[in-house]
Amino acid sequence: MNTSRYEIAVDVGGTFTDGVLLDTGSDKVLVAKALTTPADPGEAVSTVVSDLLTQARTHFGPETPGGVRRVVHGTTLITNTLIERRGGRTALIVTKGTRDALDVARELRYDIYDLTIEYPVPLVPSEDRFEVEERLGPSGETWRRLTRAEIARIVKRIATAGYDAVAICLLHASANDGHERAIAKALVAKLPGTPISMSSEVAREIGEYERMSTVVANAYVQPMVGRYLAALVGRLSDLGLGATLDIMVSNGGFTTGQLASRTPIRLLESGPAGGVMSGINCAEVEGITRVLAFDMGGTTAKACVAVDGKPSITHSFEFGRVQRFKRGSGLPAIVPSIDLIEIGAGGGSLAALNALGLLQVGPQSAGAEPGPACYGQGGTEATVTDADLVLGYLDPDAFLGGRMKLDVAKARAALEAIGAKLGLNAEQAAWGVHDIVNEKMAAAARTHIAEKGLDARRFVMVTTGGAGPVHAVDVARRLRIGTILCPIASGVGSCLGFLAAPARADRSWSRVERVAELDFTDLRARAKAARAEIAGELRACGLTDRDIHWSGSAEMRYVGQGNSVKVDLGADWAGLDAAGIGRKFEAEYVRLFGRPVPGGIPEAITWRVIGESARTTRRYGLARSVTASAMLAPRQRRIYLPGEKTYRTVPSYDRYAVPLGTVLRGPLILAEPESTLIVSYPATVTVLDSATVRVELEGKS
Amino acid sequence: MNTLGNDIDPVTLEILWTRMTSVVDEAAATFVRTSFSTLVREANDYAVVLTDGRGRNIAQSSQSIPSFICTMPATIRHFIEVFGIDRMKPGDAFVTNDPWLGSGHLNDASLAMPIFRAGKVVGFAGVVSHLPDVGGRLRSPSNTELFEEGLQIPPSRLLNAGEPDPMLVSLIRANVRVPDETMGDLWAQIACCQTLGERLNTLLDEIDVDVDRFADEVIARTDTAMRQAISEAPDGVYRSVVENDGTAEIPGGVVRIPCKVTIKGDRVNVDYTGCTPQVNRAINTVYNYTFAYSAYALKAVFAPWIPNAEGSFMPITVTAPERSILNPIRPAPCSARGMIGHLLPPAIFAALAKAIPDRVQAAPGSPSNSFQISNMRPGHGAVVNGFIGAGQGASLARDGKSSISFPSNLSNTPIEVLESLVPIEVVHRGLRRGSGGAGKRRGGDGIAFEFKSRGEHPLRAAFLINRVRSPAQGLAGGQPGRAAVFKVNGRATESSVPRILHKGDVIHVESGGGGGFGKPPAKKTARKKAR
Repeated sequence: MNTSRYEIAVDVGGTFTDGVLLDTGSDKVLVAKALTTPADPGEAVSTVVSDLLTQARTHFGPETPGGVRRVVHGTTLITNTLIERRGGRTALIVTKGTRDALDVARELRYDIYDLTIEYPVPLVPSEDRFEVEERLGPSGETWRRLTRAEIARIVKRIATAGYDAVAICLLHASANDGHERAIAKALVAKLPGTPISMSSEVAREIGEYERMSTVVANAYVQPMVGRYLAALVGRLSDLGLGATLDIMVSNGGFTTGQLASRTPIRLLESGPAGGVMSGINCAEVEGITRVLAFDMGGTTAKACVAVDGKPSITHSFEFGRVQRFKRGSGLPAIVPSIDLIEIGAGGGSLAALNALGLLQVGPQSAGAEPGPACYGQGGTEATVTDADLVLGYLDPDAFLGGRMKLDVAKARAALEAIGAKLGLNAEQAAWGVHDIVNEKMAAAARTHIAEKGLDARRFVMVTTGGAGPVHAVDVARRLRIGTILCPIASGVGSCLGFLAAPARADRSWSRVERVAELDFTDLRARAKAARAEIAGELRACGLTDRDIHWSGSAEMRYVGQGNSVKVDLGADWAGLDAAGIGRKFEAEYVRLFGRPVPGGIPEAITWRVIGESARTTRRYGLARSVTASAMLAPRQRRIYLPGEKTYRTVPSYDRYAVPLGTVLRGPLILAEPESTLIVSYPATVTVLDSATVRVELEGKS
Repeated sequence: MNTLGNDIDPVTLEILWTRMTSVVDEAAATFVRTSFSTLVREANDYAVVLTDGRGRNIAQSSQSIPSFICTMPATIRHFIEVFGIDRMKPGDAFVTNDPWLGSGHLNDASLAMPIFRAGKVVGFAGVVSHLPDVGGRLRSPSNTELFEEGLQIPPSRLLNAGEPDPMLVSLIRANVRVPDETMGDLWAQIACCQTLGERLNTLLDEIDVDVDRFADEVIARTDTAMRQAISEAPDGVYRSVVENDGTAEIPGGVVRIPCKVTIKGDRVNVDYTGCTPQVNRAINTVYNYTFAYSAYALKAVFAPWIPNAEGSFMPITVTAPERSILNPIRPAPCSARGMIGHLLPPAIFAALAKAIPDRVQAAPGSPSNSFQISNMRPGHGAVVNGFIGAGQGASLARDGKSSISFPSNLSNTPIEVLESLVPIEVVHRGLRRGSGGAGKRRGGDGIAFEFKSRGEHPLRAAFLINRVRSPAQGLAGGQPGRAAVFKVNGRATESSVPRILHKGDVIHVESGGGGGFGKPPAKKTARKKAR
């Protein structure tokens, strides 16, 4: 028997800490859940892991704990620390003349008409920022030397004041990191143990404000993350695990615990990244390569596209928003992150009449307290959950696996109240709420997909989250998506994604240069150096050089433009030449925008190299589920069918009691403890061999 | 397919509106990504508009700056007048940069295409945006006639049934400094309009609605909501006077704008009678722009949450005497119109301070200051537009924000990007501490910005600097912010003259602080309290 065949994933979310234990031999999983313990998040991690180990002893045998070879971890800790401002006391070292860069920011208002908006406050106050005498030019050339005396002066000042962490961001460090390194080296020598973050390491891209904001956030969370991860290793060993600790990062890959504590800012979106990777995995098992991952929970819905197993990645991210759904109201972080759109639409989203007398849903949410009217906790305003209940999409007796009874009368009363203002009865108002929230999510997804030059109709939707399967089929239909997949155990989707994620490392550098004038010797040297660094990181994740899959891209545009287009350059850069890069750019530009710019001169701004391990596609199955020999007779439930504009009785099956391979005809309901899949249109519904449910809509494609 | 009758139910209306708005925002996002104009991408100096078949605004891109309120629909109605709906063909595109028919200066091109469905014009897609260049002198207040400010394009058919007019294209190309980039933006405008047209048709395939009827509904609802908001403010006649730096031709060198706001029931009128007459300098503000910034201020004060559709502005009227600086006649130069137009929101706020003190704010240290630097190196021409924000005015509830763009929304350019485009070294960019006016709430601080020319070849530079002579006033007893400063090589000098920078020349700008709100606390009491 293979002794180390088990892996564990743990995701610390805002409300729940989820865990999955995987038997890599059979791809069977065990799941566990506990309430998150905000004061000491490691506590819930211990609870979940020990629960998993207990289950595993029963299901997989008493030796399981010894056979766990790694634990993959994701957490909202970074996000929360930044929102709650609980990070370390941080010093910032900058080029003379730029001390106020964090206050000056970009001078933009994120809402032009609202005169009362508030702005995010910088993480490091003015008195903790220090200027150094030195200056580099835009190509990295030295305009003013950084003297040894100047380094000594700044190190002394920092040491005297005493800080938990130090961030360094010098002008043009993305072109030349020499000055940053010299200061960092001296600081490390003087202050061993104090974490030092360099902008050229954390976010090597042009644009001093965004780079500074990123490196400051990194330094700010570093002491806390370091302590947390060290404690976590201790906790895991207390539980008898000798496993290595891997950390999920925002780009959809994982890295080692040690590297994660050097650039913790890369963990910002680890949970959602796991969710998307889980969606990709589920589709890949079925041989599907174009995925729209759609997740809907209590307050938000998220969507992300992935092609050929690769999620769409963005390099600009915002944290600590003053207004959660307003772009620009947060602080920027340049980190490769899964490119998610987040919409203020969830089960708790409130329905209200706006100033124009029209029905509006979200982004305000009833939250957990008082929650939707149907929770019976004092809420009287109608929410999406109330509408779903009145439409028959939720079973009042089986919500959250029957742990919570829903009050239909209260939901109906809330919808009647808002409907009365519009001349609608409760049912019509319920459909109005459902219709509007679905349209809102579809509109956001449509824009997201169109911005990437892709066609929604060629995608398959994979849906997760408590409210996702309730809304997915109708949202897909609005996007003209014909196929929807609903994977197992959507309640622990992020963890399933962690275990299917590749080891991944990214490097980038900025240098604005016309393609015709590119210095290929320099380019290859930089690419080589980047590859060496990546290989080093990935070896630490247990990979050999042969296991690494390389890819690369360049951010390019026509001279004079400000926004760039990502051009795929593939793995092998040896044969790259100006003409070839120019052609690739033009092809991508035409794909995105329809036509090239006649006479336009292409230039490159930022180069990226990515190394990752091959992903293992996992056919997850529940270790505890018993395959039903005979399907139970379905219950009958009345639900609203939008196509027919009327209520009809449809069969409702217990999802996990339907034998694999069964083909059913919609409209129907498939209920499971975490959610309910509502198929309210004619469709072919198949429980695939992987236990994933596939819905194929009839009619238009 | 849903077919809607005469009455569109409120749920369907909301859904259609969401769809139309997202279609417009989607097209706008693509336009910004492909644009060559710094102002489009750093400053949202564009608007994408969808109108019905009569040119009435249904949806406008949500990120656009206030300059374009109501301008594109008006331009489309001019196109309809000139070219006639019956003579329009699918694939036609009309363009103009006429300040009086468009958005107030030659730098903006307004382009629109009819949207056909079943052989009939059901709507228009329009884009107005600041072009990378229109020829003429660099944008500067010192221009004395419109003819110095660049190429004039009267309403013209740039595409005739999809075919570009080669003569117009070559005429434009010959008259601008960066022909590829300028034409690149016009093609991007066309691509944007085409996308809008296609998307509207797809939407109408799914939900068949009469676009004019939909527009009626949208207009009625926004009009009603705006009237409701206005009627909640107390009736009355409210007055203020604001000033900003003018030019040497104007007595005292200061432009004066008296502002009379009349709220009567559910309507509001702004009257600028008595303002400085039009001048032979480029700070004239064409009426469209005067209306846009006045309407912006009123919407921000009364109902910021109402979508930017035709009806939101119907209860608003603006009066400015002909041949005045706020309603000049041809051929008044007007490229630096923002220097005066941006004063109108503070003027209206100051007037309304007595009526609705909790909704307004004191004057900002802006209008936005800007600089334009062009590299004179032969064969490597580059033009950079940069902006310098200022301090925002304080309000009853909060201190003014430091370092912000208001009432426009112009981003600065990163130092690293500036230095990679033109041979300058930014010596300093930071807050100008203590420059905000004192008050119960303090005005925001302005910005201090200094750079040095490093070029072996001389640089050509032009500046728009405001509030050197007329600092931002406080409200309700608040103190004014500090005045702006403009220095060349350490000496204060006139900013409005274009100049040549040689290696080592140092430009130093300090933008104005915002005005304070309310009487500042007496110092003694403050100290006592602190103890």
